[in-house]
Amino acid sequence: MFGCARLAVLQQFEYRVNFITDAIIQPTIISLVELTLWLAFFAATAGPTLAGFGRETYLSYALWAAFIARITASWNYEMRMIDDVETGAVNSILTRPISFYEFYLGQFLGYKLLITSVSIFVPGLLCWVMDLPVLFDRLPAALALIFYYLILVHTISVLLASLGFFLNRIQSVTFAKNIVLWMLTGELFPLDLTPEPFRSVLISLPFSSGAFRPVGYLTGRLDFSGILEGFVSVTVGLVVFGSLAAFFWNAGRRRYSGTGA
Amino acid sequence: MPPKKDFTIQTQELGRTYKTYRKSEGVWKSIKGFWNRQYEDKVALHPTTLQIEGGQIVGLVGANGAGKTTLLKLLSGLIHPTEGDALVLGYHPTSRDPEYLRQMSILLGQKEQLWFDLPPADSYELLARIYGLKPSEAKTRVQELAHWLGCQELLHIQLRRLSLGERMKMELIGALLHKPRVLFLDEPTIGLDIVAQTSIREFLAHYVREERPTVILTSHYMDDISRLADRLLLIQQGKIVYDGTVAAFTAKAESRQTLSLKILSPPDKDVAILPNWVLQAGSLSVKKELQAHQVGEALRVLMSLGSVQDIRIEESEFEDVVRAFMEQDVRLRSTRRPPTV
Repeated sequence: MFGCARLAVLQQFEYRVNFITDAIIQPTIISLVELTLWLAFFAATAGPTLAGFGRETYLSYALWAAFIARITASWNYEMRMIDDVETGAVNSILTRPISFYEFYLGQFLGYKLLITSVSIFVPGLLCWVMDLPVLFDRLPAALALIFYYLILVHTISVLLASLGFFLNRIQSVTFAKNIVLWMLTGELFPLDLTPEPFRSVLISLPFSSGAFRPVGYLTGRLDFSGILEGFVSVTVGLVVFGSLAAFFWNAGRRRYSGTGA
Repeated sequence: MPPKKDFTIQTQELGRTYKTYRKSEGVWKSIKGFWNRQYEDKVALHPTTLQIEGGQIVGLVGANGAGKTTLLKLLSGLIHPTEGDALVLGYHPTSRDPEYLRQMSILLGQKEQLWFDLPPADSYELLARIYGLKPSEAKTRVQELAHWLGCQELLHIQLRRLSLGERMKMELIGALLHKPRVLFLDEPTIGLDIVAQTSIREFLAHYVREERPTVILTSHYMDDISRLADRLLLIQQGKIVYDGTVAAFTAKAESRQTLSLKILSPPDKDVAILPNWVLQAGSLSVKKELQAHQVGEALRVLMSLGSVQDIRIEESEFEDVVRAFMEQDVRLRSTRRPPTV
């Protein structure tokens, strides 16, 4: 798997402009957009607090949620995996002693590790400049949950790629899924702002580990038990989506025609 | 099917049928197809029983869609059979046993298997890890193969910047890096110019002589087959119709000869040379491919026309024989009714 991660890093460095845009320019733009949005929101509201948290807490949440949700979303790799199955590029993996899951997980994690290690400076610097509340000593635990969650993200991508054995042109499913996750992860707004019973349900889903839990922990909304619960719910998600992915992958392989070769 | 030690590859009634969606033309039928799709079964490979000994080089020849690639995909474990079974090196290919995959390689000439963005050297490093090779061992192997192919200087250039022929050389190195005992080569010279074709053909000849893998080779270029293969399999409409040596096939197939001659005094009216060949009035030269038994009669009539010079009778090459065989197949197919849904 290390070799696959290395491959992803090499590919990123091959296209310098694309890498700089992906790792620095995009997160900077997103951070500035989020800041503007939340500043406008607080300027338009009468009170200095919302649900017990002040303006600075929300600005910090918005910055870190935007950063972490970018890390935990899968666009390029999921599209590539679906495309590989549809076009038959998967053949080069199926005939080698490595699994499709492992091959792309290595690349996905390698890519995310590289992007995270560079782009983390964007929210970090903005928080420092604007003096926003961040508990930096909590960063390692938050990152651990984020990278564990990435395994679930990848498993869902494998599930969607497996559907490529049965259906053609299903890239639109990635768009639909990521729009739903935009809300379910807590990137759009902190999940604890929603009324009960939605609040409990949304937070207990594994997707809350894609933004809400790690950001909540970093910005002081959650304590360490929130991170531990996140590990548990992601594990449940891995079992559920992993089983579905394995089922559809094996069924798809039996009917696969080795397209395009 | 119990494994037999004698054969590296054996199949028992191995077959594959594809289910395909039949798309009718037009907007209304496309809308209708949204909820009511019609599927039809297409037999890509009829039940096939084969035995291939270790170290044998088998040329698999057939028209497009005859089932060549399907057979290779089944043997490499890329696709599952709808009937029958196969054993390669004692493994069921569809089980994707890592031990089997480490001893097998498939090169699909129309598909790139290395990483397009990177120099081949980086791709080989990853392949070495996948196959569990020691880095030093892999590097030596890459250098050895690159030396044989005469392409050492290309190893550090991104694949996307290489020509088609150069890419194929790189793909070959990737496919042979782990010294596979069984090698499936699907159109390794397709689309290449004559120089690149020759270079790769010579490399393959050298490689199989040196390392003695079991090879199944498909190619549209009969030179590839006639120069490399010990054994020929001809496949038509998913059925093996010939299994033997190249020489025996050429001898068995009705021999064809090309007759060419120049006529000093051209005929002043059309002359029927053979029932299906009329020589037009005023013709000064003749070149015609004939079945061997027709040549004598044609010569007799032509000689009776008057003085002729520069008579040549050439044996058709292997490629011509196979082409004639496949044309016969196309004629047979065109007389059959299309499949119904």
